[in-house]
Amino acid sequence: MMDRGTKAQKYVWEGAIPLQIHLHESEVTTLPPPSPALILAPRIGYLPLLVPQIKPFFSSSLPPGVDTVWFEYKGLPLKWYLPTGVLFDILCAKPERPWNLTVHFRGYPGSILTPCESEDNVKWSFINSLKEAAYIINGNCKNIMNMSQSDQVELWNSVVNGNLEAFIRVSSKLKLGIGGDEFSDKLSSLKSPQSATETDNTGLVKTGRIPVRLYVCSIHENFDDLEDAPHIDSWDKISYINRPVDVLGEEKSSTNEDISGAEVGDESRSPSEHGSNTGTAEEVGETLCRQEGSDSLSDKAEIKLLRIQGIKPKLEIPFAWVVNNLINPEHFLHICVYVRVLEPITI
Amino acid sequence: MASEPPSSARKVVVHLRATGDAPILKQAKFKIAGTDKFAKVIDFLRRQLHRETLFVYVNSAFSPNPDELVIDLYTNFGFDGKLVVNYACSMAWG
Repeated sequence: MMDRGTKAQKYVWEGAIPLQIHLHESEVTTLPPPSPALILAPRIGYLPLLVPQIKPFFSSSLPPGVDTVWFEYKGLPLKWYLPTGVLFDILCAKPERPWNLTVHFRGYPGSILTPCESEDNVKWSFINSLKEAAYIINGNCKNIMNMSQSDQVELWNSVVNGNLEAFIRVSSKLKLGIGGDEFSDKLSSLKSPQSATETDNTGLVKTGRIPVRLYVCSIHENFDDLEDAPHIDSWDKISYINRPVDVLGEEKSSTNEDISGAEVGDESRSPSEHGSNTGTAEEVGETLCRQEGSDSLSDKAEIKLLRIQGIKPKLEIPFAWVVNNLINPEHFLHICVYVRVLEPITI
Repeated sequence: MASEPPSSARKVVVHLRATGDAPILKQAKFKIAGTDKFAKVIDFLRRQLHRETLFVYVNSAFSPNPDELVIDLYTNFGFDGKLVVNYACSMAWG
């Protein structure tokens, strides 16, 4: 029976950010200036893939020259290889709808952004991330390298078009699953065996490593209202950590709380914490403080915000469910975190 | 590539390996600060080989994003105390 994905996966794949895209004023050569383009950008997609839709709004207004398209949010050039949903989750503490972005067709900031000339760059980046994920999960990426040309094309197209069924059809051959999780198993056991609406959860949680990309914005000011969260004007303000998480077997099914604590604790980049599954808020605070260089005076770090696919997951949710349902098509779990770190008092 | 980072910065040993018909470097082992991005390794190779177009891989498997930190790549994919980086003039593992 054709697998159509879990309900949660469908929500994720159908999730989109409404964008209001303005042409940068330096590139407006017509009066009146062109109206902004209103586009729904798939969360799991990438901004450069929207260019064919966007360009018609602005092409008659552009100055002469060759197109080198890039996007910017409040002055920050956007890294094109990050899924749109991730950009939104980390850069907009308070979700802005529509999300106002500026598009440029000239003057590519080569010192800040790696080149992106066409959809091929995005596809290459995607396939390599998928290989990296496969390497983390299986210890090799043979499955990806042995994909037939037509399968590779179909896989990429399913991402470009947001077609979850087509994606599952091809990706299930790649053997990148971590197995079932208790949540989904309990849900599917309530239904009749014939209505297999869940993915191929076998009911066994196999041990393995989950590819994770963690984005941490450390802030020193306190804020209660997301509106007051400090604006991110440089990529230096976001710590990006590429660190897999170990999933233990049935003896210990980790919750979100354990993982998020351990992940943020990993910010200290000490090898001994690699893959750690336990972590209380206290330990997180300690490791963060060591990392920030403040030894004894401050003792608190607080997770102000944690988002996966735009969702603030309840910390009791089994991590395996999060992985099965909230990962991106390239099989990475992207986690966006705002952490408040207390500054030591200077005497 | 042997710049002067602070002595507290952790260094990673990178082993550069030629693939296909790519020229072999006289010196193939280098140390680079873990806090540097993979882009630094790519740029170094480009300069050494006088080639703009290079395909650079880790463990003959995949091409990491140039923004990745060397320390993360080493932690995740290094073995025997080094990070193996393969380079080719044409796409080796497509």
